[in-house]
Amino acid sequence: MNGAYADVPGYLLVFPVVYGAVAYFALAMARHLRVFAAAGPSNPFASVPRRAWGLIVYALAQAKMFKDARAGLMHFTIFWGFIALTIGTADIIMGGLIQAVVAWPLDGALWTAVTALQNVAAVGVLLALGYAAWRRLVSRPRRLALTRGALIILGLIGGVVGTELLAMALEAARSGDRAGAVVANALAVPLRGLDPRLLEVGFLTCWWAHIALVAAFICYLPGSKHLHIATSFFNIYLRKLAPRGELPAMDLEAESQTFGVRTIADLGWKDLLDGFTCTECGRCTEACPANATGKSLDPRAMIMGIRHLAVDAERGLNLIPNSPLVRDAYGLDDRLAPAALAVPIVDAAIPYDAVWDCVTCGACVEACPVLIEHVDKIVGLRRNLVLEETRFPPELNGAFRNMEQVGNPWGSPRADRMDWTKDLPFPVPTAAELARAGTLDSLDVLYWVGCAASFDERNRKVARAVATCLSAAGVRFAVLGQEESCTGDPARRMGNEYVFQVLAAGNIETLKRYGMEKRTIITACPHCFNTIGNEYGQLGGTFEIVHHSVYLQGLLAAGRLPIAADGDGPKRAVTLHDSCYLARYNAIVAEPREVLRQLPVIELREMEKRERSTFCCGAGGGRMWMEESRGTRINEERTRQALATGAQAVVTECPFCMTMIRDGLSAAGDRGAGVQAIDLAEVLAASLLAPAAAAGATQTSGPRQG
Amino acid sequence: MQVVVLTKSVPNTTGDEGLGPAFRLDRNAIDPIINPNDEYAIEVALRLAETQPGVQITMLTMGPAAAWPGLSKGLAVGVHNAILVSDPALEGSCALGTANTLAAALRRITFDLILAGADTSDGRAGIVGAAVATLLGIPFITHAGTLAVGNGAVQVRRLRDDGHERLEAPLPAFVSVTQEVGDLRYPSLRGIMGSRSRKPTTWSLGDLGIEPADAGGARATTIVLDVEPPQPRLPARIVAGEPGAVVGEIVEFIAERRIVS
Repeated sequence: MNGAYADVPGYLLVFPVVYGAVAYFALAMARHLRVFAAAGPSNPFASVPRRAWGLIVYALAQAKMFKDARAGLMHFTIFWGFIALTIGTADIIMGGLIQAVVAWPLDGALWTAVTALQNVAAVGVLLALGYAAWRRLVSRPRRLALTRGALIILGLIGGVVGTELLAMALEAARSGDRAGAVVANALAVPLRGLDPRLLEVGFLTCWWAHIALVAAFICYLPGSKHLHIATSFFNIYLRKLAPRGELPAMDLEAESQTFGVRTIADLGWKDLLDGFTCTECGRCTEACPANATGKSLDPRAMIMGIRHLAVDAERGLNLIPNSPLVRDAYGLDDRLAPAALAVPIVDAAIPYDAVWDCVTCGACVEACPVLIEHVDKIVGLRRNLVLEETRFPPELNGAFRNMEQVGNPWGSPRADRMDWTKDLPFPVPTAAELARAGTLDSLDVLYWVGCAASFDERNRKVARAVATCLSAAGVRFAVLGQEESCTGDPARRMGNEYVFQVLAAGNIETLKRYGMEKRTIITACPHCFNTIGNEYGQLGGTFEIVHHSVYLQGLLAAGRLPIAADGDGPKRAVTLHDSCYLARYNAIVAEPREVLRQLPVIELREMEKRERSTFCCGAGGGRMWMEESRGTRINEERTRQALATGAQAVVTECPFCMTMIRDGLSAAGDRGAGVQAIDLAEVLAASLLAPAAAAGATQTSGPRQG
Repeated sequence: MQVVVLTKSVPNTTGDEGLGPAFRLDRNAIDPIINPNDEYAIEVALRLAETQPGVQITMLTMGPAAAWPGLSKGLAVGVHNAILVSDPALEGSCALGTANTLAAALRRITFDLILAGADTSDGRAGIVGAAVATLLGIPFITHAGTLAVGNGAVQVRRLRDDGHERLEAPLPAFVSVTQEVGDLRYPSLRGIMGSRSRKPTTWSLGDLGIEPADAGGARATTIVLDVEPPQPRLPARIVAGEPGAVVGEIVEFIAERRIVS
C-alpha cells in the first residue's frame, strides 16, 4: 500500500505518528467540549441556509478580513495555500490514495495540475508568512501583541510548508523533474551537482521533518491561539442571527437562575466557543473607542479571559474520559474544577471598571473576522452586577430611579413632554386627542419623540425640525405626549433588565391601545428605533418603526419636500457622524447621505471612520448618564476626527450624539469655534422652500441642559 | 434589636400632582413614593443590620391603602416587616394627630430605636418625629449624619454650621437623619420580586384603640386656609460674547442687585 511512497524508508511510521496526533487533538477538543456542557444553553441552529451562506462569506471568502486589506490578503493566501498544501499531506497519510484517484483520469494531468497548484501555493504561503513575521517583529501594528505563541505558529507553518517544498526539490534533484512541480523543479537545478547520498539524506530529513512538524502542529493546536482554524467554521456557522441590536431575552420570573452572567457557567456554550475561536488578532480592541481613549476596557482580553477560565475549569478532567466503572474502582476524579467554574468573570477576565467603560457601540463585534459577540457578554455581566449584586457606578442610581418613577432618565416631569411644541405654527396632536375625536384612522405616522427631544433644550429643536419637515410634506402625524415613556434602552444596556421590561411593557401596551401595530412609527432617536424595532418583539410588541433619516429621505425622493434652489453662495461643508445604533447596528448609512446630497447648499466631507465603521460619540450603553473620569473623553476624540475634515458643521442623527458632539466642540476651544452640531432634520428644515422653515429649526444657540 | 423606621408616603414630584377638596392632596393624580428623607433612615437601619447581629427592621407608615405599592420598595431593599396604619377617618390629620396615631401604633410593638427622615417632602412640618418621641417619653436626637449603637445607647454624629458634634442617648431613642447618611441602596432583582407579593400588616384605628371621632381632619389642630402657586420663574438671561465683555456684564448684573456686597 505504500506504492506512492516506496522510496521513503519506514513510511509506515507515518500512521502512528500522524494518527496519534489526530487522536490527541480529538481528545483535547472533546475535553474543551466537556466544559461547554457545564455552560448554559445556546440554540444557534435555525436558518440553515443563512448560516451556510455565512460560511461562504466569512469563512471561505473571509469578507471581514479585507477591511485591513494587506493583512486580509496575507491571511487569505495562507488559508487557501494551506488548504492546497494539505492535499499533499493528506495524500501521505492516506497511503497515496488521493494521488491514485486524482491521477487516474486524463493520464495524470489532473495530478500534475494539483502539484503545480501546491508549488505555487507553497511560495505564496511562505511569502505571506514572511510578511506576517515582518508585521509581528518589525512594523508591529498596535493591535498585534508579540507573543511566543504567535511566533511558534508562524514557525510551525513555515516549517511544514518549507520542508514539504524542500523535500520535493531534493527528490527532483535526485530522481529527475516531477511533473507540475514548477517551483521544486526550479529549486532542484542548482542541487543536481550534489552527491546523490547527500541528496537522499537531505530528502529523507525534510520528508520526515515535514511529518513530524505536521504532527506537532496538530498537537499544538488545541491549546493555542491558532485553534481558530478548527473552531472558526463552527463559530461562523453558529453566529448570532438575531438583529445585532437585540440583546438576549431574559426571564425575570425564573428565580432559581442566576440573573445575568457571573461565571462562565452562566454563559451559553456558544460564548465559550467564542473564546476558543479568538485568535488574538486585536481588531476588536483596535476598534474600541473606550480602549482608544485610555480606558481599561480591552475586548480581546475579555474574550481571552473567558477562554482562560474555561481552560482552568478543564484542569480536573482527564484527557481520556474515565468510565464510571473505572471511577468506582480506582476513585479517579474526572470532573470539572468546581473552583474554576465559580470564579466571577468580572475582575478575572475583565476589570470591574471596564465593564462600565463599554459604550456598547459594537465596533468590536463589527471588526471581528470570526463573528465573536462581545457586547452581549458585557451586558450579561452588567445584568448580574445590577440585578444581583447592585454594584454599579453611583451616578446610575439617579438614572434608574428617574426612569422608574417618571419614565425618563433625566427625571423631568411628564407634564413637560409637550413643551417642545410650544409656538410651532401648526398643531401637534396627541394620539389620545385623535382617539377622542375619532380621527385616529386618518393618521399617517406616529412620531415617537423620545426623552432627549422632549426634555433636552437643544434636542427639542430637533423635534421641532422633524415636525416642521413632516408638516411641510403634509404628513398627518401625532405624538403620544405624556403617554410616552423612555423605551428602556439605557436601562437595558446598563444591565437593569427589570426597569427595561417595566418601561417596555408600558409602552407596548400604549402603542397597542392606539393600534400602532398596523401603522408606521417614526423616530429621530436611533436608540428608540433599535429598541422598539428590534427588542420589543421579545415582549410581544411588533411594530414597524422608521428612523427619521429614512423617512425624510423617502419624502424627498417622492418630491414632497420643496427644497430651496441653490443660491450663488459658497457651499457649506459638513461632515456626517454616523450613529452606532443606526449605522452599525441597523445598517442605515445610505439614506442620511442621500438627504445631504439632495441639498444643493451642502458639501459632504466624510470622516475616515464612518458608516458601519463609525466611531462612537461616547454616550451609548447608558454612558450618557455616567461620568467619564478614566482616560480621555470619547466625544472629544470623535470631535477631533470630525474637525479634521475641515467641515463647518457636524451633522448628527441621534440626540445623544448631538449632545456629545456639541460638548466636544465646545471643549475643542478655538478649533471648534463656529462649528455647529446640527441634526439631519435641522439641515433639511433649513433648506425647505416653505415658510414653515421659520419655525425656529435653524437656531442652534441657546441655553444647554443636562 | 428592634429598629422601627417611620416612612411617610408622599407624592412623587413629577409636576403632575395637584390638590383636591380642602386643599388636600389629590391622591388619584399622584404616584406615591417613600418620603426621600425617610429613605436615608432606611439606609441607616440597613447598615445597622449589616454590622450588628439580630437587627430586625420594621417600617411604620400612616397613610391610605393605595400608598402600599410605593412603600414596598422598603421590603425590596431588605426591611423585614411593614406596618400600615390606614383608616378613612385619618384623612386630614394634622401633625399632632399623626404623631398621636403613630405613637399609639408604636406602643403596640417593641422597639429599641426609631428612625425617620428630618422632614417630609410634602408636609414639611418636621415636627412629627419630635411629637412622637415626646408622646412616648423617649430621647430625641435630630439631624444625624452617622449613627452607631452600643452599650444600650445610640451614638450620633451630626453636622453643625461650624463642624460636627457627637451626641449619645440611652435606648430606646428616636433619631432623625439627614442626607449626609447617603442614598438608599438600589434593590436587587430578587428583592424586588420577593417584595411584590408581600403585603403590610394593616391596622385600623380600631386596632389602635382610637375612636374615629378623635382622629383625622375633624380634630386637626391646624387647617389650611389658602394656597397659591409660586410666581412663574423669569426666563434666564444668557450672556454671550467675548469673555472680557461677558465678565463685565455679569459683574454689573451682580452689583446692580447687590447680590455680593
